[in-house]
Amino acid sequence: MSDIFSFNGSSNAGWSQPKPVLSNSEIKDTVPNSMLRVKPPAWPRASEPELVRHYTWLSRRNFGIDTGFYPLGSCTMKHNPRINERIVNLPGIDRMHPLQSEHQIQGILSIFYEMQEMLAICSGMDQVTLQPVAGAQGEFTAMRCIQEYHRERGEGNRNKVIVPDSAHGTNPASAAMCGYEIIEIPSAKDGRIDLHALQSVVGDDTAAMMITNPSTLGIFEPEIAQASEIVHSAGGQMYYDGANFNAIIGKTDPGLMGFDAVHFNLHKTFSQPHGGGGPGSGPIGVKSHLAEYLPSPLAARRALIDSDPRGVGDGFWYTWESPEKTIGKVQQWHGNAGAVVRCWAFYRRYGRELERMSEHAVLNANYLRYKIMNPDSEVVSRVHAMPLDGAPADFVMHEFTLSMIELKNKVGISGKDIAKRLLDYGVMAPTLYFPMIVPECLMIEPTETESKEVLDQFAKDFLTILTEDPEIVKTAPHTTDVGRVDEVWAARNLILRHPSTSLDN
Amino acid sequence: MDQLPNLGREAEMLSIMGLNSIEDLFSHIPSEVKRTDPLPLPPPQSEEEIWRDAQHLLGSNINLDSRPSFLSAGLARNFVPTMVGMLATRGEFLTSYTPYQAEVSQGMLQAMWEFQTMISELVGLPISNVSMYDASTSAAEAITCAVRVHNKKATQKDTVYVSNLIPPHRMSVIENYLQGAGIDIKTLNHRVNGCLDIDSASVAHGSCAVYVEQPNSFGLLDEGLLELKNIIGENTALIVGVDAVSLGLVSPPGDWGADIVVGEGQPFGIGPTFGGPIYGIFACNEKYIRQMPGRIVGQTHDSNNKKAFTLTLSTREQHIRRHRATSNICSNETLIALMGAMHMSLLGPEGITVLAKRVAATTEATKRALISINGVELLHPDTHNFREFVIKLPGDSEEAVAFIDSKGVIAGLPLGRWWNDMSSCLLVGCDERTSMSDISSLAIAIEDWIREAKQ
Repeated sequence: MSDIFSFNGSSNAGWSQPKPVLSNSEIKDTVPNSMLRVKPPAWPRASEPELVRHYTWLSRRNFGIDTGFYPLGSCTMKHNPRINERIVNLPGIDRMHPLQSEHQIQGILSIFYEMQEMLAICSGMDQVTLQPVAGAQGEFTAMRCIQEYHRERGEGNRNKVIVPDSAHGTNPASAAMCGYEIIEIPSAKDGRIDLHALQSVVGDDTAAMMITNPSTLGIFEPEIAQASEIVHSAGGQMYYDGANFNAIIGKTDPGLMGFDAVHFNLHKTFSQPHGGGGPGSGPIGVKSHLAEYLPSPLAARRALIDSDPRGVGDGFWYTWESPEKTIGKVQQWHGNAGAVVRCWAFYRRYGRELERMSEHAVLNANYLRYKIMNPDSEVVSRVHAMPLDGAPADFVMHEFTLSMIELKNKVGISGKDIAKRLLDYGVMAPTLYFPMIVPECLMIEPTETESKEVLDQFAKDFLTILTEDPEIVKTAPHTTDVGRVDEVWAARNLILRHPSTSLDN
Repeated sequence: MDQLPNLGREAEMLSIMGLNSIEDLFSHIPSEVKRTDPLPLPPPQSEEEIWRDAQHLLGSNINLDSRPSFLSAGLARNFVPTMVGMLATRGEFLTSYTPYQAEVSQGMLQAMWEFQTMISELVGLPISNVSMYDASTSAAEAITCAVRVHNKKATQKDTVYVSNLIPPHRMSVIENYLQGAGIDIKTLNHRVNGCLDIDSASVAHGSCAVYVEQPNSFGLLDEGLLELKNIIGENTALIVGVDAVSLGLVSPPGDWGADIVVGEGQPFGIGPTFGGPIYGIFACNEKYIRQMPGRIVGQTHDSNNKKAFTLTLSTREQHIRRHRATSNICSNETLIALMGAMHMSLLGPEGITVLAKRVAATTEATKRALISINGVELLHPDTHNFREFVIKLPGDSEEAVAFIDSKGVIAGLPLGRWWNDMSSCLLVGCDERTSMSDISSLAIAIEDWIREAKQ
């Protein structure tokens, strides 16, 4: 095991820097004596070769899309094109400050403007801000705009937000952060939205409903327009959680479904690499009645006039603009600009053909579902129990859920056991136990960037696991860097940092 | 369109499912919500064309490295070691998701546990999470966290005190994050010398939290803050926002009573990158552990009793606790924190000290050069500064910055943009890369402007 804190070379073992421009004695007085640091942080003392090897070793103990199939439902783990990484290393993005004056940032502003426009077009919204840096922050931002919209109209008493019980956890968490009371409505038996349940909870205290479509079961809500109508007639706003946007681009859009606000997960749909947990990017789009509340500033443009300096050559001058009744800031600058630029490069690859991306995401999901659920009769005869559909549907959208409850009842293999055993087959586990309305749930999203062969192999491996000795499955994984990890012990003992604090100075 | 391995194989896959057309898969979308017209977007491009457009558009920006720049205001024009970008973008790190499956994510989990240790060491507090979005969201969530912990015993319920000198964009983030929790934000004022009016800080006693910054937004190192914890008392959280690099020289807030330390991690790991992605530091003592936001990695063992790491304390988080979660944060800035950890490990204990000295030196050298100019005054003469300081100009600083810009120098931030009554003030920011020649370019440009303004 490579331990970074075991590197403790000489005090000049590390990385050399130019000398300070003033002498030590001149620097000494820049910090009051009482405030001088006594002991440096106990960071490793390591040379570049040692660190390169350490981090390379760590990287080899980590599974990414580049390593293998990553069918993590709801997370849209698609291939990350490498040109995007090359682009964000250009000094025109990497070495830029968000407070530079407009004439120094025409190029980046034009990319911001183009992204705002593209996202508005794909979502059927009127105005987009790129400032929120994660999906959850996008949800929070949109709910803040909706909150101010109601207050402005003298309807600040609207204090309830409705979410289906299948919603992502961030939905209720974001609304609660705005101070809203959460009303959770149960899904209908088939997993779809229950319009009666919705009708029974809306009223003059309804601020908004938050919902994703396709739902977290991967199924398109056919009655979404009716749901919008119910919420709108009660005076509430409709919020679209864009986590599943990969399924619908060019086929339908939140505007057509009657939504007033939407967030995008650029790190899902538009391929910002997820980097082990972030960065993400969570722009939001809104209809015109909410646009004046958006965070400030937005990218805008006007026709170039003679007195302007040279622009980017498209005949426009790009500017920042502040919406009239802006809620202010949610991130301190302009959002994750680096992610926005990567996603710009990603969308340019498809342009008006973005629809093909969604078609292939849906094709792959349906194909994989079909292959898992319709094996040869010989295979069926050997499995302990077949998975059940998480929700009945002829077709799913970009993802699907399976319930492993029969397997659990019959031989005691849980959904988690299946997930862990899949790791032995060299693939990432699907999303586990979500949505909570499906017992022993596995949520599978192949994305459009997997080949038919990868899907065939996954279906085959998945079904093989269902035939295996239950003991092998329950004790999996067996071939990974470490065996099944004891999460309970971690939570009870809370060893959250390296114990070594002593530096030999 | 290069990202679709099954392009041209649709019919084969559909026929296995007994279907004829991809449209069959979308047949359950009701016609009233179906999109009928194609997306009004440009045609697809090849990688080569995208690279050409990116070079053109991003090349038309003026980047900070292309000229002397004194614009900082919370971001650093740093130098990131080459190793950092090369190793962090290894596909296994770059293309992984949040490490829910610990058995195949030990690399990132261990790297984040090491990151937590480095941050803990840097700020002098035992616990760190694996990052927030930025310094402002860290500060905002530190305050809501402190209210959850202290409100029960607080005599000033749902009340926090915030320095009146924090930058307006940060204040706006804090207001957005706090309003839903019904928290009352009161301010702590400063004296004319730019330091906190420590004598009046006792008003915060009995409230849930105090948020101050060290150095403050004028770059001032405020000795008075060392007394603040004693004044506000045990049951009021002292939350300190830091310039992470300064801690190479300046004593860590954990050593002088801070309960939570937040700040911008960007100087370690990534360029200013137009303001994002960057990452927020969040560290605290044990009292806050069950109320803190964000992911945390803990050490444990596997089924063979082998050392291992895993995400822990997840019951605070939105995917478990839903609307009762401590925060809605899900995606964070892990990859940037990883870059930060790599940068910090290359620096080492001595390197961070050298780095802080370099910034202290350029700050001091720039200050000396500018105050020798006739007509330029330091707003706060007898104080200590790190990275930034404020000068008063004989005229509007916005005009000065525009003039100096025309001479090819980025002079800093005209403070009238932040506070109306400071329109003649300029916030000058320095960094480890500021050279003596940059300093003289700025000084000459300011002299030129003063001369022209007089005519």
